[in-house]
Amino acid sequence: MTVEDPGIRWQRPSHLLLRARRIQTVLVTAPVALVGGLIAGTAGSAPAGLGVGLGLVVVGLLWERFLARRVAAWGYAERNDDLMVKRGVLIRRQSVIPYGRMQFIDVTAGPVERSLGLATLRMHTAAAASDARIPGLDKADAAKLRDQLAALGEAQAAGL
Amino acid sequence: MNGLPSSSPPPSGLPSSGLPPSGPPAEMASWHRLHPLSPLVRTGRHLVGLGIVLLILLFANHSSGGGGNLIGDIVVVAVALVAGVISWLVTRWQVADGVLRIDTGLIRRDSRRFPLSQVQAIDVVQTGLARVLGLAELRLRMAGADSSGGRLACLRLADAERLRAQLLSMAHAPAATVGAVGSPGPPIQAGEPERPLFRVRPERLAGAIILSRTGAYAAAVIIVVALVVGLTGKPGVIAPFLAFAIGVVLSVWRQFNTEFGTVVAAAPDGLRLRSGLVQTTAETIRPGRVQAVRIVEPLIWRAFGWCRLEVDIAGPRQRRENRSEGQRLRALIPVGSRAEAEQMLGELLNVPPRPSRRAPGRARWKAPLSYHFLAWAGDDQYVAAARGRVCRKTTWIPLEKVQSIRWVQGPLQRRLGLASVRLDVAGRRVTGSIQDRDAAEAGDILARLPDQARAARARGLVR
Repeated sequence: MTVEDPGIRWQRPSHLLLRARRIQTVLVTAPVALVGGLIAGTAGSAPAGLGVGLGLVVVGLLWERFLARRVAAWGYAERNDDLMVKRGVLIRRQSVIPYGRMQFIDVTAGPVERSLGLATLRMHTAAAASDARIPGLDKADAAKLRDQLAALGEAQAAGL
Repeated sequence: MNGLPSSSPPPSGLPSSGLPPSGPPAEMASWHRLHPLSPLVRTGRHLVGLGIVLLILLFANHSSGGGGNLIGDIVVVAVALVAGVISWLVTRWQVADGVLRIDTGLIRRDSRRFPLSQVQAIDVVQTGLARVLGLAELRLRMAGADSSGGRLACLRLADAERLRAQLLSMAHAPAATVGAVGSPGPPIQAGEPERPLFRVRPERLAGAIILSRTGAYAAAVIIVVALVVGLTGKPGVIAPFLAFAIGVVLSVWRQFNTEFGTVVAAAPDGLRLRSGLVQTTAETIRPGRVQAVRIVEPLIWRAFGWCRLEVDIAGPRQRRENRSEGQRLRALIPVGSRAEAEQMLGELLNVPPRPSRRAPGRARWKAPLSYHFLAWAGDDQYVAAARGRVCRKTTWIPLEKVQSIRWVQGPLQRRLGLASVRLDVAGRRVTGSIQDRDAAEAGDILARLPDQARAARARGLVR
């Protein structure tokens, strides 16, 4: 139960984000399972190596079951004076970042995200603790949102 | 600026000849050098190290053999001294157009400009050797991440203090007047009225440090060392852990050294803070630069009614000499009574609210140890939040300084219908945490606080 305010119009990241996350999971799980299995296989016996490898694959699959909920938990809302970002399944977080407090805005895209035409938007304030990001935005959307936020930030900028 | 060698001719190509050579502002606008003894002070730490090495060599093996090491050290110090002299020769500073300019570098020229309107605070620091020679270092603190360049080391103490007053008055003057050369605002006189607010009592400081966590560690280390030596009868056993033991004891000394003789006084340009036993620091905390105020009450201190009041100021505090100091907040009251802390709090904040709204009873399941402290309060200016397990920490955050607001709910909190709201301010050290509230209340806080913070900011801009 996050703070549900009917006045907030939540927007979600692209549906491709789930696919990007799945690819990332495969890219991590496969080598880890392979190397883990090989190490266990050479150190112990061949069945032990197979067991460890399969175990790690199962961990990856379980993580995949969880991914859909994690991805669905992301949301952001542009309000009049601030941006709201919510995320998290186990630990739910909802951040409010006033436009006037944004120091700079990054748009980054890793190889997997780039291949799907996605990008991550990251907002920085003077506080190190306030890490607000929106992953899996369509590249054009991300650029548009960045310019929009930058313009809003400039209009409302406040000193430290 | 008597005493400052300003006679050095500026190299060609630098704008300095167009300034009139009379009057104090123009004098500031010309190029100045640092004090000729500054290389000595800068390499002072190496000299001390060398002295220690020498002593150890003399005592440990007077059958020679370690001479090569000694020569190596002497060479290092000599090189450092020569480098220091060269660096002194090529370093010059100037104040013009509301900008402090420091030029340095022999091979790679380095010219830094510090716009005075951006200055967060100016410190006068005296290391032990500098104090003997009557010198002081001026440090400018900007809001940015890299503060290493904003230092003038060293000037004569009186000059450093006058320059600080002048720079601060220029920093306060509106940009229009600062822009014009020769009108650095009303110069602050040396004998301006200061209202003393707080003075730490040495015996209480010593007691408090012994009763704090650092002191407890040091005591434990000393007891263990004494026990081991006493039981085994061979002091050599503890040799491998000696460095660790010395480090722990040193940390106690360092805390005592930095916090000894803390004096806080209210002056027209902000709160004046002086402290230190061997190395003394004087700094001015400008009004409106305080990001958060915190009162810390450790378990044992509470029995004596003691507490510690710290402030968080924007900008980094990295000091190579005193790394442990940079990690903690600035302690306005290293240790004092509740009444003294309340008075200082009233000086820093207009009408600080008391954290009075307790957390709901079921928060006890999630935070059994800290439940009895959890409380918060808020008005249209400040948010106060208390938390802590054995050590009560009460944080006040001015709403106009809030950078972002987070609502957080962990799995256990969700089960209990609780949630927390965190307020971030500039820097990474302080987060105001309204911990374990009823979920509906937390949602309400999250809905209301952004608007309140914006209103507070708007008021701050008008003021």
